[in-house]
Amino acid sequence: MTNQTRAGRLPGLAADPTALVDETQVARQESRGIFEAVWDLLTSMRFSLVVTLGMAGLGVLGALIIQVPAGVEADASAKLDWLAGVRPRFGGWTDVMDRLQLFNVFNSIWFRGLTAFLTISLIACMVQRAPGLWRTATKPRITVGDRFFAHARERDSIVVRGDAADLTTRTVAVLRRHHYRVVAEDDGAVNLYADRFRWAPFGSLIGHLAIVVILAGVIVGSLFGFREDAFVIAEGSTVAVPSGEGLSLELISFEDAYYTTTGAPSDYASELILYQNGQEVARHTARVNDPLRFGDLSFFQSFYGPAALISVTSADGATELFSDGVALAWEAKSDGRSVGTFTIPAEDLTVWLVGTLGTGDTLVRPGQIRVEAYRASTGDPIEQASIDQGVASTVAGLSFTFGREIQFSGLSVARDPGTLIVWLGSILLIAGFTIGFSFPHRRLWARLVVRPDGVGTLAVATPGRASHDVDRAFTNLVTDLRAACAGPSAS
Amino acid sequence: MEKMSYYAFVAAILATGLALILYLGYAVSGLRAARMQTAGNGFGMRGGTLGLVIEPRTATFGRYGSILGWLAFAFLSAWLVFRTLATGHGPFANMYEFSVAFSWGILGAYYWFERSYHQRILGLLALPIALAMMVYAFANPAPNEPLVPALQNNLLLTVHVAVAIVAYGSFSIAFVAAFLFLFQQRPVERAFALGFTVALIALVVGAIQSALLVGALAAVVAGTLAGVLVYAVDGRRGLAAIDTSGGSWGLPRPVVLDEIGYKAVVIGFPFLAATIVLGALWAEVAWGRYWAWDPKETASLVTWLIYATYLHARVIRGWTGSRAAILLQVGFGATLMTYFGNYFFGGLHSYAGLG
Repeated sequence: MTNQTRAGRLPGLAADPTALVDETQVARQESRGIFEAVWDLLTSMRFSLVVTLGMAGLGVLGALIIQVPAGVEADASAKLDWLAGVRPRFGGWTDVMDRLQLFNVFNSIWFRGLTAFLTISLIACMVQRAPGLWRTATKPRITVGDRFFAHARERDSIVVRGDAADLTTRTVAVLRRHHYRVVAEDDGAVNLYADRFRWAPFGSLIGHLAIVVILAGVIVGSLFGFREDAFVIAEGSTVAVPSGEGLSLELISFEDAYYTTTGAPSDYASELILYQNGQEVARHTARVNDPLRFGDLSFFQSFYGPAALISVTSADGATELFSDGVALAWEAKSDGRSVGTFTIPAEDLTVWLVGTLGTGDTLVRPGQIRVEAYRASTGDPIEQASIDQGVASTVAGLSFTFGREIQFSGLSVARDPGTLIVWLGSILLIAGFTIGFSFPHRRLWARLVVRPDGVGTLAVATPGRASHDVDRAFTNLVTDLRAACAGPSAS
Repeated sequence: MEKMSYYAFVAAILATGLALILYLGYAVSGLRAARMQTAGNGFGMRGGTLGLVIEPRTATFGRYGSILGWLAFAFLSAWLVFRTLATGHGPFANMYEFSVAFSWGILGAYYWFERSYHQRILGLLALPIALAMMVYAFANPAPNEPLVPALQNNLLLTVHVAVAIVAYGSFSIAFVAAFLFLFQQRPVERAFALGFTVALIALVVGAIQSALLVGALAAVVAGTLAGVLVYAVDGRRGLAAIDTSGGSWGLPRPVVLDEIGYKAVVIGFPFLAATIVLGALWAEVAWGRYWAWDPKETASLVTWLIYATYLHARVIRGWTGSRAAILLQVGFGATLMTYFGNYFFGGLHSYAGLG
């Protein structure tokens, strides 16, 4: 790579504190203890570069390989079913991939390890580099050696005539006009240091810090957050919200609307009322893109499906044991029928309801629902029957009435105290990097030497690598300096 | 309005195509001039008495190419306006709209850089990418369909995708600059640049034809073949002796290309970050969680990480120059995978008008 060696040898880089980072050399020269070695590794840009690439690589795997749905990983039997489902695709590799956590990349030890490494490395880098940035911004070196003026990437030398004090004033005026801040030092010659955007490098630092903030937000969310992705309510029912606080949610109605032109869905809307200890505290029609928010708790429209209005009484009809909407929110593995369940603790009964598959279904004809009753304590089946709508039918010694078919709404309930931290981090990230990139710290050194006969030179130089903008700005500046100091060019 | 937007779109395709032909003429004339110059007859580099260097190529081609390209950009801008008026939301709701908008982003980014760096030759590669996007959109015309519930958020739909287009457009220019950079390096790097580009095309075509596996295989085979072929030809001709800093074949100097690549990423990187953040914000509103490792989310994060690596590589000794340029190529590959991701990832973004 010829170009790279060339870049490394650019004149002026020796005097440039922002020169390319050469860590290997430093690492080889010193012999240190384990602590320093770890510190060097963590603050090494090469290391973070490799870790970042590693994370990108894992991300590619996670995007390409099918991932276990949330919740399945924790449930051993669901996990086995899921693995059986993907086995035809991956064959003998399935178990190997599972053991390597390739089906759960983003919760895998690999991904978490790399994230942890990157975070620690980020923090170490910030700790290491912040003092230097601060010094560069507040206590810059004002006098630099002749070597710098002779070798800097952008440099020029102007022959000047006149009185040193007057020339200094003019030079400073030109620099100020170009929006530079100027600091002067006199050691026989006049040394000037000028810079612009000296705080902008902190933008970059804040951008890096923001990544740590975002990760902190994620951790706060996973530690203190609450989440229920399958909060199901049938129309007309009220269900206790499992987040505590005595909340319960009622679904007045659910509407799904479709475009007449295309048949594509146009709207899903759940009319909700939220109660706290029996008192109504919020009322909202939740839609996709328009959740119900109460305090830090949010209810998001997520999915929907059929439900059945069921009432159960004792055989003689005297005592009502159950009367509510039951969401048929699950799907039977064998035949894809919608199923739902409820219990009648007083009778030690678990009831499963099975919906119809539609026209042609002989087991559960359209307009019917199938009732399967089990002993709750033992799980033993008692009786199964398909019952007609609106007719009281006796199953397991009780009278079941299938009122009518209604709908249920599936909501995601979430409380994530980390979200605000994540947004804060995101704003810092974008703002930090935008500032850091848009306003690179521009520094410039000048040295004015005037001989007793009133003729002198003003040397100007700026460090850094070749850049179109810097070139242009520097040329303009030198032209103005030349005009102001009114001497013919020396170069 | 829909008709108007269609006419503007067709006009943009024609203008881009014509501009591309002119850029080609411009490049060929530059190549000839460079040849003659190395042959030593000095044609095209006549230094006038005032030291003015006459441009060693037929600048007219380039000038008219640029004018046509600007025209194409204007037509696409008109398309944006008409389509927005016709649909009532930012024209980013399906692959057709998004692709035309993407080419708008590429042309915009290209002309932004042409204005400050005057390197027309970049257009020779940037315009084909834009044209390919438009042709792809032309093959997938989407009727003006109303939005499904998840997309019914005009503000976030418009901003999220508009910001993404700026990022994608910038990354395209960075890719082009990196390609021209690598093309002027040693035969290995040249072979890599060509092989990678061929592989990328094969992969994208495979993905669009929903034959990802075939595409990936074709990508590996075609990429390797192209790379080996270029390497073999190069080696025989002994082109390795080319000056890697001077600008060969009438191409811009690598130092300039390196800077253009960097500037493009400096614009694209915060914009991609903003795209991801706005996407997260929208996901929180619509789906209740700001991050779900949806494949398209993941792909955009991977893309962002690759460009983050590039930004670091550029200040680490041993990673500058070719390695950084290779990261730019890989980054653009990731950008395209993110863009066409809905084809093979599925996931939450899969509603975006495919079928």
